[in-house]
Amino acid sequence: MIDWGAFFVVAGASLLSSTLVVSLYSLGLRLLTSAGRALVVDPASFTGAITVLTPKRAAKEAKRRRKSATANPLTVFQKRLALVGAYACFSVSVAAVLYGVYLIVPALHR
Amino acid sequence: MDLTLIVALVIALSLVFDFTNGFHDTANAMATPIATGAMRPKVAVGLAAVLNLVGAFLSTEVAKTVSGGIIREGNGGVQITPQIIFAGLIGAIVWNLITWLRGLPSSSSHALFGGLIGAAIIGIGVQSVDFTVVFAKVILPALIAPVTVGVVALVATRLAYFITRRDAGKADGRGGFRYAQIFSSSLVALAHGTNDAQKTMGVITLTLIAGGFQAVGSGPQWWVICTCALAIAIGTYTGGWRIILTMGRGLTDVKPAQGFAAETSTAATILASSHLGFALSTTQVASGSVIGSGLGRRGATVRWGMAGQIALGWLLTLPASAVMGAFAAGFTLLGPIGLVIDLVLGSVIVALLFRQSRRTRITHDNLHDIDDAALVVKIKKTPRRIARRDRKKVSL
Repeated sequence: MIDWGAFFVVAGASLLSSTLVVSLYSLGLRLLTSAGRALVVDPASFTGAITVLTPKRAAKEAKRRRKSATANPLTVFQKRLALVGAYACFSVSVAAVLYGVYLIVPALHR
Repeated sequence: MDLTLIVALVIALSLVFDFTNGFHDTANAMATPIATGAMRPKVAVGLAAVLNLVGAFLSTEVAKTVSGGIIREGNGGVQITPQIIFAGLIGAIVWNLITWLRGLPSSSSHALFGGLIGAAIIGIGVQSVDFTVVFAKVILPALIAPVTVGVVALVATRLAYFITRRDAGKADGRGGFRYAQIFSSSLVALAHGTNDAQKTMGVITLTLIAGGFQAVGSGPQWWVICTCALAIAIGTYTGGWRIILTMGRGLTDVKPAQGFAAETSTAATILASSHLGFALSTTQVASGSVIGSGLGRRGATVRWGMAGQIALGWLLTLPASAVMGAFAAGFTLLGPIGLVIDLVLGSVIVALLFRQSRRTRITHDNLHDIDDAALVVKIKKTPRRIARRDRKKVSL
């Protein structure tokens, strides 16, 4: 029969770890944006799931982005702090990926 | 029939199965990053292929049994003959190709188990199959795993959008999730390589042991490891584009934050389950998390008709490949001529399926031109309700 104890452990572990990693990376992106360095990553290829903007609209969005970056209520110190926080969040995310590799490769944990 | 010849046939078929396994499962890792434009389609499948190749070499611990306890094999149990493995593999390969043609992500290991069960019932008898293990290891996880991981992905997606929310019109930096997607999907691909290539290695090694070509209890030989790794990598690189289309677009439209949340949930669940010795199907976990993330993002719609078709595919996988495995096993009872009939029949079916697939060609270069996933998956109506609301958001 199914081992319900093991099942709940798996469910709990995956809930905890994925929400933690996703939250940290999101927080990193948020702090980066607060620091006035919003990450802009354009898609490598356009897909049906991506709304393709007209050039005019895209220029408008870019202007808006610049404006929101300059009109920043934070002081220089606060911005720096946000940046440090962002990098800290990203480092933990990288550590999570490395831990994942550690779990995958049997030679490392046996 | 000459034992050497049938062992050689089983090895060849195992490699074909490994290939179909690879291209069937590319979508698990790479459908969402392709859908959000995190990677170009060819780059994504290339990366997945390399990680599958590497993964196959990382873990070469061979299973003690071909079927994982589903068939009562081993000490005091029944003897699985190469003929049964041969018939089971034919059933699994044919079912994998049928589901690929329909664009359905279905579990390759379940297809393999199904084929073996069918072949064992015909070749040995009903008593050879342990149905309580079938229920506990195949049917129950298929019901529970997608729902559980769906909830996890839903929570993760909600969190990702909640944390990165900003006032309308301000940059939210959500495009940055595209970078993260590369890593999360790579983890899924690597985990897949360590699990699935190993299964084929196990089948080949156990066949070699049964044929007396290898000492009992020894590990896989180097050429088995190399060919299995190559077969799964080539299969992955070929890319089951139909299934990628279903997973990336057919279920729901995936956005970067959502895709990242889905992949992280998939990776976390698979790693946690395989670490605790509680094997789950990668395919089912990945599909469940895509649906969950679609429910988690406001404005996203989940196409339940598609989800239902996929679930139906999961339910059918085991019995359908069992029926095909049983037919193939029936022919093997005729002796050597039966194996020839099996091979010819199998090749004809594969050729027919391939010809059918040429009617609607879907590859990496026209993947994004296909405006509607309905082309492959036959959805009657694609909901357009969300389109207007979505347009207001910056979604480039």
